[in-house]
Amino acid sequence: MSGSELPKLARVAHAGHCNRCLSALPSSHIQIDASRLAIGFYCFGTLDLLGSIYEKTKEIEREGWREWLWHQQTNRPYGTDPEEYSEYDTPHLIMTYTAILSLAILRDDFEQLDRNGIVRFLQACQREDGSFTSFPNGGESDLRQVYCAFAISSMLDDWSGVDVDRAVSFIQQCSSHEGGYGQQPTGEALGGTTYCALASLYLAPSVSDLHAPNPHVTTDERRRTIRWLLQNQASSGGFSGRTNKDADACYCFWCGASLHILGVGDLVDRTAFLSYLASCQFKFGGIGKAPEDRPDPYHTYLSLAALALFPLEDADPSWKLPRLNALWNTTEDTADWIRQHVPLYTVKAQSPVRK
Amino acid sequence: MHGVKRVQYSQAALEAKKQRDHDKLKAYLALSDDVIARKSHDMSNEAFELTTRLLRMNPEFYTVWNYRRDMFIESLFPQRSPSEVNELLSDDLSLTFELLKQHPKVYGIWNHRRWCLEHIPDGPSPDDVNGYRNSTWNKELFVVEKMLDADARNFHAWNYRRYILATMPFPPPPKSELAYTTRKIEANFSNFSAWHQRSKVLTTLWETGELDRVKSIEEEFELVRNAMYTDPDDQSVWIYHAWLIGNGNYAARLQFEITSIQELLDEQPDSKWCMESLVRYKRLLIEKHAENLGDKKALVDSCLELLAKLRDIDPPRRRRYDEIAEGIRSGNEMQ
Repeated sequence: MSGSELPKLARVAHAGHCNRCLSALPSSHIQIDASRLAIGFYCFGTLDLLGSIYEKTKEIEREGWREWLWHQQTNRPYGTDPEEYSEYDTPHLIMTYTAILSLAILRDDFEQLDRNGIVRFLQACQREDGSFTSFPNGGESDLRQVYCAFAISSMLDDWSGVDVDRAVSFIQQCSSHEGGYGQQPTGEALGGTTYCALASLYLAPSVSDLHAPNPHVTTDERRRTIRWLLQNQASSGGFSGRTNKDADACYCFWCGASLHILGVGDLVDRTAFLSYLASCQFKFGGIGKAPEDRPDPYHTYLSLAALALFPLEDADPSWKLPRLNALWNTTEDTADWIRQHVPLYTVKAQSPVRK
Repeated sequence: MHGVKRVQYSQAALEAKKQRDHDKLKAYLALSDDVIARKSHDMSNEAFELTTRLLRMNPEFYTVWNYRRDMFIESLFPQRSPSEVNELLSDDLSLTFELLKQHPKVYGIWNHRRWCLEHIPDGPSPDDVNGYRNSTWNKELFVVEKMLDADARNFHAWNYRRYILATMPFPPPPKSELAYTTRKIEANFSNFSAWHQRSKVLTTLWETGELDRVKSIEEEFELVRNAMYTDPDDQSVWIYHAWLIGNGNYAARLQFEITSIQELLDEQPDSKWCMESLVRYKRLLIEKHAENLGDKKALVDSCLELLAKLRDIDPPRRRRYDEIAEGIRSGNEMQ
């Protein structure tokens, strides 16, 4: 099947799906209640990729969301020493990452960002072995949190919250003999954690040239990882998350973006890739993990992000998406906004401006 | 969220379902608001019971697991005997086991389980300070086995299994874990997680000298050859085989395996994995043992021929095979 024979991308329907999810979710989704910020990000991200933030939402709604997001910024423990986080605060590393991205998509000016607080928070989350927990004093620790810590530091342009060497050492220990990276040392390679590992290693402050060999990835690791990632593309065009598992739309991003970061995106079979994601579109809007599955914002966003990384020349114009910043996982326009507003010191019109 | 399929309902049934969903949501939100309002100051038994109810409805609510742990530390454990503390923790281990059966991949539940294990008190007596610990930790392998019986690929369970083996006071010998992986592999060759675990256990056994590495590798090649011949299309087997080959420094082994795989390919001429592995191992020969090679050109030609076939039978990776062929032709190092 050539690009021109593919169905269209149902842009309006997908924007509708995410807009509906922003208003309310049914009782079957009770279990993602504690991850609202992540769900918010997937919805805002989808609208951003579809270029419909301003079309499909009103300024009053966007103001409301920005306010809701800032309401989640926690910077004072309840009645305890202000220098220490207690478990009552429960700021969460992954939610912090998604909150910053969401605010950037909504074009917030970040005047309210507690940069020092976030740096202290990162320090409080890093463990002896270099990994990060979801929140200080507890929570699980694996490569997802390391990635979020690196992405946040990179967006802040402030790495004082992270012991980079220790974190890099932890990431390298997660490298699997199969290629790819597991959740923890000795873990099986997984698509999601492979993305987290690679994005982190390429975000690390010692890496300035994304096209030169990365000092934290050995030639052997790179070779194994490329081979493992490519083998995860099924004949349907979709990617699976690990050896002998079924294809799943979200891994089109996790694995596809990993290959993109390694500079070998050209080796992906793009037509099959697009054809698989096209078939995951749900007839009432949204994109599911596999054909016929119910959609959700997570799969919708990641499918579109994957498609943004692998444009197909002869595909219908409905498939045209903006350029994606693969390391932060947001559009390049939003990434520009972040660079101009998130760090404490930004360079604007040739002179540094303190925010 | 993953894979929830649509079901068809009649109009009346749809209305009833809507009402049930609405009631369920209302109850959840009310309970959630109540618990969150209490968490900064309420350490009572009543609050504790409410967290139990809420966690049953939403075990991913990490804030509430935190609150529950704080209640243990701040109010439930103090002034209680070690035996009572142990009992409270046993109850939570039962609760998490029950929840894991319905929600096997929720990080927060696995995390809470680890916390419980790590907080078991000394006891039952000054002469036997590890009694409670030993008895509880010993049951964990049974719990993990049940989880892996339900889903042999659940990486949470495998990671947890490795954590238990690394941390429990009196772990079973690594050889018994090796036997466990054998059982799992024999039950299903596609179970890559089991092959993966096997590679970890063997590495430990070789390092400690409990198993002779050379002899053990011989046996593993035999095992994997049987699996290969039984199901040449299974990716797990080939990845494990590649692990055994390692960096390919042992030329005789490379030659032997190449011959063996070629025999399999003769029987199964369309086997992608046979071809892919042959290319990989022949390239290793070219790269690492050039000085001992009789006919290097024959090896190169054979690789190019295999890659041409692979392009046909494995189209998603066509560009990859082209890239490899280009590398071989120009004599570049393996990419």
